[in-house]
Amino acid sequence: MTEIALGSADFLREHLRARLTLAMLVAIPALFVLVSSSVLGEFAAALGGSAAGDSASALGAGWAAAFLAGALGFFQVSSSRDADRRLALAGMGAARVVAARIAASVVLGVLISAVAFLTLVLTAGVAHGAHAFAAILAFALIYIGIGTLVGSVISEPLEGSLTVAFIFLIDAFSGPGMSGSGGAAQLMPTRKAADLLIAAGAGEGSPGGDWLAVGLTALGALLLAALAFWLSARPRTG
Amino acid sequence: MADEAPAETSTLGSATRSADPVLRVEGVEKGFHRGIPPWRRRVAVLADVSLAVGRGELVGLVGENGSGKSTLMKVVVGLLERDAGRIERHGRLGYCPQAPLLWEKLTVAEHFELFARAYDLDARRAGSATADLLSELQFERYRDYRIEDLSGGTRQKLNLALALMHEPELLLLDEPYSGFDWETYLRFWEMSERRRDEGMGILIVSHFLSERERLDRVYELRDGRCEEA
Repeated sequence: MTEIALGSADFLREHLRARLTLAMLVAIPALFVLVSSSVLGEFAAALGGSAAGDSASALGAGWAAAFLAGALGFFQVSSSRDADRRLALAGMGAARVVAARIAASVVLGVLISAVAFLTLVLTAGVAHGAHAFAAILAFALIYIGIGTLVGSVISEPLEGSLTVAFIFLIDAFSGPGMSGSGGAAQLMPTRKAADLLIAAGAGEGSPGGDWLAVGLTALGALLLAALAFWLSARPRTG
Repeated sequence: MADEAPAETSTLGSATRSADPVLRVEGVEKGFHRGIPPWRRRVAVLADVSLAVGRGELVGLVGENGSGKSTLMKVVVGLLERDAGRIERHGRLGYCPQAPLLWEKLTVAEHFELFARAYDLDARRAGSATADLLSELQFERYRDYRIEDLSGGTRQKLNLALALMHEPELLLLDEPYSGFDWETYLRFWEMSERRRDEGMGILIVSHFLSERERLDRVYELRDGRCEEA
């Protein structure tokens, strides 16, 4: 257990010592929330959606968390794949490397969500704070799963980050309040989390079924992330 | 520790006989798929490779660029799957990859700590191994430097030190001295010969003919096959 915690702390350090990551951690939530509260309403209307005001600002915080978590998830796998495998082979084992990576990812997800939530509170305010934070965290966890999965199959930084950005754009633009409400839009990974966040932004509650669906999606995404880390760290013994 | 193979060879060649082997490789095959379907084709890199390394032996692996030396090392270590054959390893394994596999934002000291935990070394042993290797390879002053701030040669020293810190019985070195200056290069051979004399089995990918006299035996990898030179 101590080994996993210490390994996780090392993996976290690897990310948090990058100045650009820290700058993005502050800049992206601010940008997304401020843009959402101003022009998103017009943009959503052009796409046939209805997002506006506090709900749009809240949604912006969720997207900021998703974007950052997806990018960091991707680079957690793609930049350290070979080093992680070496560590696993040295005796740490793939299972403990995966556990340490997942723990680091969850801490990163909480940190990203906290910054996005704080930005939302400071710039636009939010009626249901706890609901909003939980939904933003769900955005982050879901995109950790997506980012790590992309990282496990695409190793090149440019192609991988473009793929994560492409998935993010499809997801965001087909989300509730934007262009879509039925058909394929219902299958988008952050669909239910966006519903929760829009409701929290407008000061409304959400049905228990939606919370359950979001919880299960976030859990599934973490399992996906564990699979992605394992595919990268596992020994190849034939 | 023996890795069972998807397809085994049954005959031991003379190359795989060793009195007290720490590594035995028999009939290993490895190929890679290139291109996209329907133009996908398999390129064979290793075909029926057999070799052995005994305790207290310093064995070289030579071959032209692209002959499959690093592929063979990765298959032996478990970084790549093999298509056929059998690999037996005995005792603790140390592996120094050709390119340093390190974490850019962590310091030298943090790397030693991370690998000490992976090797399950207690604090006293980890501390003394770290101090000894920093001193032996003469890079103590970089202890608190991040990897991103190190030169290629110093990264390579750390890469090598991490493979040695748990005193493995079998040490696999894939061109471990690239980036070393002449003094460090000579020190590297002294370190290897001393460890060989203490009983470590070492397999080293080597390029230079002048190194052959330092080696107990040499295998040459050519056309996917390995022969004792």
